[in-house]
Amino acid sequence: MNACVSLSDRMPEVALGRSDWSPEDAAHLADCAECQAEWRLLVAAAALAESAPTVADPVGLAAALRLRLAQDRAGRTTLRRGWLIGGTAATAAALVLAVASTRPADQAPITTAEADALLPLPELEGLETAQLDTLLNTIDRPVAGTSTLDASTMGEHEGEELEQVFATWEG
Amino acid sequence: MSAAPVLESPSDHALAAAYRAGDEEAAAELVRRHAPALGRFLYTSGAARDEIDDLVQEALFRAFRRLDGWRGEASFRSWLFVIGSNVLRDEYRRRKGRQIVSLEDRDLPDRADPHADLAANETAERLRQGVATLPRLQREVFLLRTQQGAGYTEIASALGTTPGAARVHYHHAVRRLKEMVT
Repeated sequence: MNACVSLSDRMPEVALGRSDWSPEDAAHLADCAECQAEWRLLVAAAALAESAPTVADPVGLAAALRLRLAQDRAGRTTLRRGWLIGGTAATAAALVLAVASTRPADQAPITTAEADALLPLPELEGLETAQLDTLLNTIDRPVAGTSTLDASTMGEHEGEELEQVFATWEG
Repeated sequence: MSAAPVLESPSDHALAAAYRAGDEEAAAELVRRHAPALGRFLYTSGAARDEIDDLVQEALFRAFRRLDGWRGEASFRSWLFVIGSNVLRDEYRRRKGRQIVSLEDRDLPDRADPHADLAANETAERLRQGVATLPRLQREVFLLRTQQGAGYTEIASALGTTPGAARVHYHHAVRRLKEMVT
């Protein structure tokens, strides 16, 4: 490693006051214009950092940060609860559709009470718009392991059966 | 009379682990330790004086939110500086590319040689503006080296690069700044 590279590697720690030049380093620095220019830059950078303004009140900052982190944690807990409820509602809704699709044509359509029994989730009212959108999107996906009313089977049903299915959605 | 035992301050690793375990005072200690340096880093990166508090808080908020992402290969401060740099970048984008290097009013100190101080202030301001205009990696490497004395291995861990690349970035930054400042 040549002397300039060696000196350059040591400049930050010397400029920050953590080390000193060896006699050899000092001699090279006295003779090398490039190293002198870099050294002036490093000294200026260290001085700039030393004199730079910074946070006025670290203690107050810590308190404000603590409050913000607590609020963030509370918000994420509510969102997770909303996802859990939404996921459960989506599963229940898919089950309703599956039951409705296999219900014999001569049976009475699912009543509102029956639907409520399958969807006893008034918490839906508390969901945010984005959460409801996500819930609607997940309703379209089949639930693993259950027979589902997917788009390809819709055409197999007669108009009256489709009306019955739609009626259950509308409550 | 025997001297009272000197209690060592807990390491950043210990404080981070304590915070993860629910000790909020550990977070407060990390803030007290590193917020001032982070503020100086952001200022020398081009942040305006009156934005430092908000930027520092945002950087710390992001850091504590994803503290599990700090694996300890780089120092906590270096890791925090990188997050701070991201916050500054996001602020720059939010302003849609408008120059964010603040031109500070210079208050001449009341000293015997105001001309020397003025020259020093001008050099410092030119350097600050020069640093702010460096490409991001060059800026981060330069500031981590010159403000923290970080070695190339630590810088590489903090920035997700190699020690060799960090060295190259540093020398590019030095070359550019020498042209700007002199």
